[in-house]
Amino acid sequence: MLLVENLFKTYRRNVDVVKVLSGVNLTVEDGEFLSIVGASGSGKSTLLHLMGTLDTPDSGAIYLDGRRIDQLSNTQRDILRNRTFGYVFQFYHLLPELSAYENVLMPAFIRESTLGWLKTRRQWRKRADELFERVGLSHRKTHKPREMSGGEMQRAAIARSLLQNPRVLLADEPTGNLDARNGDQIVQLLRNLNKDDGVSIVMVTHNLDIVTATDRVVKLVGGRVAEEPAALHFTPRLLSAVG
Amino acid sequence: MRYLRTRYLAFVCIVSVMLGVATLIVVNSVMSGFSNKLRDRLHGVLSDVILDTDNFAGFREPPDEIAKRILASPAGSHIEVMAPTVEVVATIQFQFRGMNVVKPVKLTGVNADVQSKVGGFGQFISGQKHLAVPSFDLSPEALRRFARNIEENAGLDEMMRDKAALDAEKPSESDFLGKGPRIQMPLDVPVNIPAPDLPQFEAPKPIGIFVGHSLAHFRYKNPETGLTEEIAALKPGDSVLVATLAADEMRPVWGTFVVADYFKSDMSEYDSQFVYMSLADLQRLRRMGDRVSHLQIKLKDVTPKSFTFVKANVTDEIQKLFRPYEVRAATWEEHQGPLLAAIDVERGILNLLLFMIVGVAGFSILAIFTMIVSEKIRDIGIMKSLGASSRGVMGIFVWYAVLLGFVGCSLGTVLGLGITYNINAIEKGITVLTGAELFPRDIYYFDKIPTNVESLTVILVNIGAMSIAIASSLIPAYRAARLRPIQALRFE
Repeated sequence: MLLVENLFKTYRRNVDVVKVLSGVNLTVEDGEFLSIVGASGSGKSTLLHLMGTLDTPDSGAIYLDGRRIDQLSNTQRDILRNRTFGYVFQFYHLLPELSAYENVLMPAFIRESTLGWLKTRRQWRKRADELFERVGLSHRKTHKPREMSGGEMQRAAIARSLLQNPRVLLADEPTGNLDARNGDQIVQLLRNLNKDDGVSIVMVTHNLDIVTATDRVVKLVGGRVAEEPAALHFTPRLLSAVG
Repeated sequence: MRYLRTRYLAFVCIVSVMLGVATLIVVNSVMSGFSNKLRDRLHGVLSDVILDTDNFAGFREPPDEIAKRILASPAGSHIEVMAPTVEVVATIQFQFRGMNVVKPVKLTGVNADVQSKVGGFGQFISGQKHLAVPSFDLSPEALRRFARNIEENAGLDEMMRDKAALDAEKPSESDFLGKGPRIQMPLDVPVNIPAPDLPQFEAPKPIGIFVGHSLAHFRYKNPETGLTEEIAALKPGDSVLVATLAADEMRPVWGTFVVADYFKSDMSEYDSQFVYMSLADLQRLRRMGDRVSHLQIKLKDVTPKSFTFVKANVTDEIQKLFRPYEVRAATWEEHQGPLLAAIDVERGILNLLLFMIVGVAGFSILAIFTMIVSEKIRDIGIMKSLGASSRGVMGIFVWYAVLLGFVGCSLGTVLGLGITYNINAIEKGITVLTGAELFPRDIYYFDKIPTNVESLTVILVNIGAMSIAIASSLIPAYRAARLRPIQALRFE
């Protein structure tokens, strides 16, 4: 369970002070597929980055399974990012010099020492092969990111985020750069991962069409969670409960 | 590692390290070559250790006595051979195309055989390099020229007539001597030392001397060819008047001698000043019996030639045997003190300038690395979001610097050594291409650019370049590693 408690975050650029988050409270249950929506600048991406320890809050706390994670040492946060969280970004963020296959294996490169890599590389490669199969990209393994389409790059990025079986997948506008068809495919892929592997997913989006695939929707307004969940009625879990 | 292949910038960085290393190797090798050659030449004429005295009449004791005392001392075990010499200031005078030429010289009387053993004396006598011991005797060709000169009655007689004319209009003494006790100039000194031993009407037996090459030649730039040319003002067989001071009392002595050969050490300072004659002739000319003014000492080959060793074990030991104001023992370095100091100063300044160049090169590497890092900053963000540690990120960049530095250093060493070993061919090529002579041989007297590759210098240059490459990568790498992942990801 990921718990966010009274989170504040302010960005300063020279004399301008931008209040991004002003007291966010949020709970992400294990196995939940949560989407966060809101207008541009409402702080949804910032919230996601803070939850994934990519940045540090000004005040407030973030707990993962009861353990506070926003105050961990750099080393511990590195390990957390490497093994517990998976990230999917709007701009894919693949390393341009490496092939899709090497990109997917990157978390393992980072995790293992040279010796450790030599010992474990077979297992890692097997795992990467599975993931390529799963995201339907087996024919693109040796391609560089620039030789792939947006949808393919995003699928490679998802495969990379899954390499170490993360507890929580954090997706920041994963369909933001894709057309509707590719976007649907990506959301469907996430949905299946959530259902089959039980990985918790937090997805930030401003596309209200895709939130229907998620369990719960949270709306951020002016740096806080809006009182009334935006599209709660349409979520499948609710529908199935009703149905 | 591979994700860092920023080909263009990496190439620039390697080239910059390579050029720096190559330049340093070439400059150091040429500098060291020049310096060594100069030292060799400075040492060449001098022996390892020199004994001299301020007494104008020479050492009080005869040279054999001095040598005995030295050999019996602790320093004696290091000594291979000792050569007695007389060194004195003098002038030479000769006729050249109607001019009466007078030049100040340093006149040295030597025993040619012993002298050849203590220093590079023999190898500097132009026409006799093939001989183990050069001879003051005139070659047949020189003898023929001498005889022809006598026949033509050229040179000397004319000079003597000039002198007689000068004597006639001698100024009164009060014109330039001032007041006080005066040195009496005896007027009845013999004009020609060997003459009294010879029958009156036979040609006097010529006494050979060696004259510095530059003393005997005029150099001028030929306006037609633009090249520097030489005319021999004195040729073997020509007579010169050598005038110096007697040892026993303050009076001038002079004699007529005949050029037997040239002395050419390629040190312009020596070649324009040195005149050699046999020790016995100079002792006779100066009326000094068997006394000498200098003792040239050559050390054994096994004796370390470092200045500190020689100073402690030889010169200081010898000095103990004599009163310091009477006899002075010095190493050749001490004798050439000012010149060697000048070389050291030159070397120091050059090193300082090179160091500044290295500083500039270091900053350019720093700039390149900063560019590499900022080009890669989004990738750093990606790596950090995937859990890469700051140390890991920094390590990647430092290793990258090591790799680039290593490649640059290796190429630079190869290039630098290649240039050094072929520097003369390169210089010739540039001269042909541009028409400008880079290395005017007549200034340095070196027929080619001397080089000396010191392996220690090459190693130090490489270590230095590697250190600079690593040091210049540290700052940008540290800055990159310190970024929070989200800062790096958002970096545009």
